[in-house]
Amino acid sequence: MELSQVLLPSMGEGINEATLVKWLKKVGENVEKDEPLLEVSTDKVDTEIPSPASGIFLQAVASEGMTVEVNSTIAWIGPQGATIPKLTETTSGLQGMKRRSQDQVGQGTTQISAPTNSANIPKNAGHVPSLIARGGDFEELTLKRSSPLVRKMAFDYGIDLRRVIGTGANGRITKHDMDRFLASPGAFAEPVSAMNTFAVASDPLLAKVSTKVVDGKETLEGVPVKREKMSKMRRLIAEHMVESVRHSPHVTTTFEIDLNNVVLVRDKCKKAFADKYGFNLTFTHILIRAAVLAIQRHPIVNVSVDGDEILWKDQINVGCAVALGNEGGGGLIVPVIKNAQTLSLTDIALKLTDLATRARSKKLAADEVVGGTFSVTNPGGWGSIHSNPIINQPQVAMLGIGAIVKRPVVIDNDKIVVRPMMMASLTFDHRVIDGEGGAMWLATYKEILENWTEIPSL
Amino acid sequence: MSTNTFDLVVIGSGPAGYVGAIRASQLGLKVALIEKFNHLGGTCLNVGCIPTKALLESAKTWDKLGHANEQGFEIGSPKFSWNKIMGRKDKIVDDQRKGLRFLMKKNKIETFEGHGRIAGKGKVSVTHSDGKVTSLETRNIMIATGSRVRELPFAKSNHKGIMTSDDVLFIQEVPKSMAIIGGGVVGVEFASLFGRFGCQVTVIEMAPQILPFEDEETAKELTRCLKKQNVIIETNTKLTSIQDKGSAGVEVMTEGNQPRIFEKVLVSIGREPVTDDIGLNTVGISTERGVIKVDLATYKTTIDGIYAVGDVIPTPMLAHTGSAEAYHCAEVIAGKKPHKVHYESNPSAVYTYPEVASIGQTEKQLKEKNISYKVGKFPFSPMAKAKIEDSTDGFVKILFEPKYNEILGVHIVHARATEMIAEFSLNKVLEGTLDEIAHTIHPHPTLSETIMEAAHAGLGGAVHL
Repeated sequence: MELSQVLLPSMGEGINEATLVKWLKKVGENVEKDEPLLEVSTDKVDTEIPSPASGIFLQAVASEGMTVEVNSTIAWIGPQGATIPKLTETTSGLQGMKRRSQDQVGQGTTQISAPTNSANIPKNAGHVPSLIARGGDFEELTLKRSSPLVRKMAFDYGIDLRRVIGTGANGRITKHDMDRFLASPGAFAEPVSAMNTFAVASDPLLAKVSTKVVDGKETLEGVPVKREKMSKMRRLIAEHMVESVRHSPHVTTTFEIDLNNVVLVRDKCKKAFADKYGFNLTFTHILIRAAVLAIQRHPIVNVSVDGDEILWKDQINVGCAVALGNEGGGGLIVPVIKNAQTLSLTDIALKLTDLATRARSKKLAADEVVGGTFSVTNPGGWGSIHSNPIINQPQVAMLGIGAIVKRPVVIDNDKIVVRPMMMASLTFDHRVIDGEGGAMWLATYKEILENWTEIPSL
Repeated sequence: MSTNTFDLVVIGSGPAGYVGAIRASQLGLKVALIEKFNHLGGTCLNVGCIPTKALLESAKTWDKLGHANEQGFEIGSPKFSWNKIMGRKDKIVDDQRKGLRFLMKKNKIETFEGHGRIAGKGKVSVTHSDGKVTSLETRNIMIATGSRVRELPFAKSNHKGIMTSDDVLFIQEVPKSMAIIGGGVVGVEFASLFGRFGCQVTVIEMAPQILPFEDEETAKELTRCLKKQNVIIETNTKLTSIQDKGSAGVEVMTEGNQPRIFEKVLVSIGREPVTDDIGLNTVGISTERGVIKVDLATYKTTIDGIYAVGDVIPTPMLAHTGSAEAYHCAEVIAGKKPHKVHYESNPSAVYTYPEVASIGQTEKQLKEKNISYKVGKFPFSPMAKAKIEDSTDGFVKILFEPKYNEILGVHIVHARATEMIAEFSLNKVLEGTLDEIAHTIHPHPTLSETIMEAAHAGLGGAVHL
């Protein structure tokens, strides 16, 4: 058995580099020739690379996530105890490798040293890059803007700096931030747990599936597939959703609400309203107005969380999820009704109609989709009776409105009557709102709606 | 009246006030600057940093001339004209004053000459030398009235035998003997100045060391060097009386000693804030021993719209500190959100021979606070550049915590110490450690190599010793 270097093989015309997705063998394990050793991803396909030789997997030269040029050394396989050749500084072995992007350059921990005269070493092993032990990890841990002191602390405590919020210049993590983080509960939770902070967008697209090419067709678990790049908006939605569930412990609670009074009031003024304003007063308008009233009584659903501090807000700005059509493929945008605490039912109706119309024609101004303090989503419009919304960060709660359905219900004197019923579910961030708080809000919301009297100005 | 309405009125045109005024103006505010003395620039430019350093530079040249023979120059016995030395100092000050006038004009800052007083919220009055009063209306006020020399109640300056630093800057000739009461920054600088020009100087200091706020080793090294400059240092010495006996000189009594006669006595026991007659009572801002309390993130006083910076607040009485505070404060007033002034990196600088520059804690302070630390120290004596420049006195001493090698204090004693300390200030601001200093390639041959060597020494690998 002799020492072999594993080169990234050519994978076809026009493929000059590949990103190392995953090592399929651990260092120290035995590898047979032609056994899959690693997984790589290229512009065109993702594929497994078989081992070119049998032996012990001695060293991984490239680490996961690295982009490597074809024909550069990525690993060493050989007999147990074989000396792996080292390089001189001048041979710049790293030229075959580069980080995924410029801004990911971390500490200069890459070290390359001189070849030795070990008998087993192939003469041409001139350009072998090697990372010092833990160097790759160190870089991964410390990609965020920080200081040398903070990086030492992070490495010492094994903290992934992506989890730490920086308050220094340009978001730099300072010693103070680090001290605060280390003192916080959960500081030592496993990285990549739900503790990833919202401040750093994760890359949900890193969660890759592995496809294979069979008879010239790409397949996933044997099923032929067609690849399509996500639109910008779809990608942003994906990132936002993944980040939100990682960031906040979501809890959803649901109440059933009798909208009898709401229907009666609305029916009474429906026509006059449409005549005067040229559009219909919808249940959504009333449901939002009622939500504002409930928030005023339980403002905890209208806060943000910053580290171990709660940010109470002076305004109630209600974000309303608007689907952009195209049978669900058009994406989603959440325009915001600002200062809703100062708006009457009519004002809210006018504002929402205007925002939704412009959202669908893509004419919203940038500041009309930010600053929300609470959000409402209404999948009831498509017949859904119950939903589990995902919180729109950095908010802490979202109300999901179900379809209004006529149901037989038992009222006070054990009479069964037909009533327009609606499920309202509140998803809340359990860091700041407990089950009681969520339920109290919905109980208030229910009470307001079941005793509804407010009519729009006509 | 509307022309006298401003966004910001700055009272005092020293290194805090004028910097605050310029920054505020750059950020679009309409700014007025009030100065009660004839010239802009405050203590620093007129009777502080600038004239003293000008004179000290002359002392350095004089010193060099004294050693010219050793370097191969045959110039006989050199002479100096004190008058011309003072003239050079005056010209430098005058040039800077003109520069400041230009900066005010360039930045469209309206300057008012007279005594500025707060006259209520949003109101400032300026009493001119002829007694006339101008009233200004303003949205914000920045108090930057600075400080004045503290005097001994029983021996006030008579501008003759008993002097303060203000007087001594205009002294007609180098006295034969001088007692300096107080071995703080001002005291030792004048000691180093007059001593080198041939005056027999005695520094009388109550504390156990000169420069009581500097590291003990710093004081020791400076004491050693001052002795070679005709300076006698008496520490742990309590003054009991000073009496100006006219042409017979000034009699100084210290505890346990016979009375001694000196030609001049310089009282340099510190400075006190100027806050007693600036109208603080009209708005209800209180002071503690003259010092105004502020929020150090915004420099706001207890009254909305009134800010204070520089020597009047409880931060180090240093020109560069005041400038940094005023710059920051102007940004706050203009609605920006600047990062806090980084006091941990704030350097102190003493322009004796050799100079003293430091940041952070002394060994004594670390011991008192029970903070564990290590020392990286390296002398200038083996360094080639120090020999070339004929300045082998002094050292670089770095105090750092052993876990991450975070720098806790730096003490440099050397002819050019003040030019070298900023490397450490930057290191502090960037939260560097000793490792970054050691791994930074310093040019050769320079004095700054000594910094790198001190860092290596701290990490256990100094090369040139």
